[in-house]
Amino acid sequence: MVSKRDRELLRDNIRSRGPKLSATDRENIVKPYLPDPSELPRWPPQRRKKLPRKTPIRTFIKSQIHLITYTFLHIFFGIAVRLVQTYHAVVDRILAIIYYHHRTPELIQKDVKDLDRLPEHLSVILSIRKEDDALPLLMDEVAELVSWTASAGIPVLSVYEKSGTLKSCIPVLHEVITNKLSSYFGSSQQPTLQLFAPHHPIYETRPHGDAPNNCLIVLLLSATDGQETFVDLTKTLAEMSQNGKLSPEDITMELVDAEISEITTQPFQEDSLAAERGKAGSIQIPPQVKPEPDLLLIFGPSLKLNGYPPWHIRLTEMYCTGVNGDGTTGCSDNVEYQGFLRGLWHYAGAQMRFGR
Amino acid sequence: MHLSKLRNWFLASPPIEYAISKLRDLLVGAIKQGPVPQHIAFIMDGNRRFARTHGIETVEGHNLGFEALARILEVCYRSGVQVVTIYAFSIENFKRSKFEVDALMEMARVKLSQMAQHGEILDRYGAKVRVLGRLDLLRPDVLAAVDRAVDMTKNNGDRVLNICFPYTSRDEITSAIRDTVSEYSKPLRSTHSSSSLPRTPFSEDHITQNIRSRTTNGKLEDSSNESDSVSESSTLGEDDGQKPPDRNHVYKSESALSSAATLHLPDQPTKGQTRESTGSEPPVFKSPETITRQTLADHLLTRDNPPLDLLIRTSGVERLSDFMLWQCHENTEIAFLDILWPEFDLWQFLPVLLRWQRRVSKARQNPDAEGNFDGEFQDPSDDSREELVVSSAAKPKSL
Repeated sequence: MVSKRDRELLRDNIRSRGPKLSATDRENIVKPYLPDPSELPRWPPQRRKKLPRKTPIRTFIKSQIHLITYTFLHIFFGIAVRLVQTYHAVVDRILAIIYYHHRTPELIQKDVKDLDRLPEHLSVILSIRKEDDALPLLMDEVAELVSWTASAGIPVLSVYEKSGTLKSCIPVLHEVITNKLSSYFGSSQQPTLQLFAPHHPIYETRPHGDAPNNCLIVLLLSATDGQETFVDLTKTLAEMSQNGKLSPEDITMELVDAEISEITTQPFQEDSLAAERGKAGSIQIPPQVKPEPDLLLIFGPSLKLNGYPPWHIRLTEMYCTGVNGDGTTGCSDNVEYQGFLRGLWHYAGAQMRFGR
Repeated sequence: MHLSKLRNWFLASPPIEYAISKLRDLLVGAIKQGPVPQHIAFIMDGNRRFARTHGIETVEGHNLGFEALARILEVCYRSGVQVVTIYAFSIENFKRSKFEVDALMEMARVKLSQMAQHGEILDRYGAKVRVLGRLDLLRPDVLAAVDRAVDMTKNNGDRVLNICFPYTSRDEITSAIRDTVSEYSKPLRSTHSSSSLPRTPFSEDHITQNIRSRTTNGKLEDSSNESDSVSESSTLGEDDGQKPPDRNHVYKSESALSSAATLHLPDQPTKGQTRESTGSEPPVFKSPETITRQTLADHLLTRDNPPLDLLIRTSGVERLSDFMLWQCHENTEIAFLDILWPEFDLWQFLPVLLRWQRRVSKARQNPDAEGNFDGEFQDPSDDSREELVVSSAAKPKSL
């Protein structure tokens, strides 16, 4: 740490913008703060002989002191972390009691009504657990999330799960979500659901009554939609370039952006499905998804992206629901309504409120 | 007001200052005892807001931010971090007021040229400065200072400071793709394909003959499949284990068709001409199928650096703002701190480091606990590839 007097000297020098201190002056100021060259792991060999050998006992004691400090630091930090975790867990429970959706969209709407802004595109990162019934649990979580999102009036939800197992069972998932939605909304005013994944056909409900009240788009993502997409794009571009159809200079950010966005926003149109939908005469094809999520909710203990597609998150707000999921607490619910709500509050810049 | 003055005076008094610096040394030494992140990135946000709230000029705020950077760099390098990447200036920042942009440029120029004056100290402590980003957008005098500083320190040791100067991550990814494409569209020499390989376990001629004899027998489908897997295994090397299995299949069937076509009509130029297995055509390219994530990563600006372990953004804004999107998307711990950058110091940095150490040592104790999915994810494609190689290796022996 540079002492105050020296700091002022250096600052004065910057302020005056003149060559008040020469290079050697500055060096002289800084020199006492530089670590001893002998402490460095690699010093030039010619210096080695000149340096007096340090007493081994002193270095030993020093390293022992550091080790002890390290241990104590981590013990205390661990205690602090536990305390904070407990505090958060208590707050979570209280919030979970105060705010519960009771499977009523009106309640959810009331919870989000006062928020200044809502994300237009919400994205969540889920992780699959290791148990046997992990997949049904995961699908149930997705269904709950879809219902909350629909109730809150957010038009687009993308669900990221690293391994991509969700993609392999889209029809089943669709059924699960539809059931869940009907338990929330009742069968009459269920929102239209469009479920799709990149390179998969779009899966859609037929609205029961007329006047589809609101439409919800759910996008499933996995690790292959991340960096692998760029690899595929590069392969295609390289092939085109090798065949002389494109020169490398043509590759601009706009081109890449358009291509990458297309993969995640334009669902793969299967002819039969498209024709069928044409007969039905619905208007919302192709669904226009805003490719950049506004809010990324991470249901997990730490803020890690775990292979989430990199291109679109540059301006995404991230929020980690944190705390639980340590594996030790045995708490099976990672995805909870209050976590979802906290994320939305956070996005709107609101504070946690205990009372209604 | 008086209290804070008193506090400042107290903190600036020599014994306290000495004690604090000793305490810092102790803490840094203690951190060194555990696992230390190898690569940390900082988004230095909040200089302007700090200046606004403290009633000083914006430029002054940036100067204080520079001091904070120096403090943090000291902590990082002394505790054993290899690479520190800082987000100094975004391409988008050119849209700010001209006055501020000019001031920032001036500051960068002055700092870099001052640094160049201390070449000897830099040499002794072995820090290497690199500037990442679109250097072509810089003013010529700034560019000269950048070049000088980078040039002077390029031979230094293992500690690296990456300054992302006019940088956005999207731009970086795009240029990585562009560079990869232009590398792959350079024709290779015709002999290159065989001589550059470390070993070619199978002779291509033999296999071609082999297939031709088999295709005349009518077993077109599986024999050409094998030829393809042989050519793949002999040309690709070991590095494509990350391909998902479905891609593998698509590619296989497609090129099986093309190679079968070339085998049947050897005189005609077909669409398989770019493949190395039919290397008789004049322009021979590296096969685009050999592009992997690693290839792209090797063309990024951070190619020589260890993977990003920790990304810290100050000022409470919780976005990446187009910084290190590619690098931080896998296993990086992202920390958003609700503090302005000029106030950032060891005391705020320490909890982040400790949390990281805690998590890493926990993950080392039981690797199954969380987030260790990579192995499982890569396995299927590896296995299928191995199977293919084994089956194709078994074929020639049986003949």
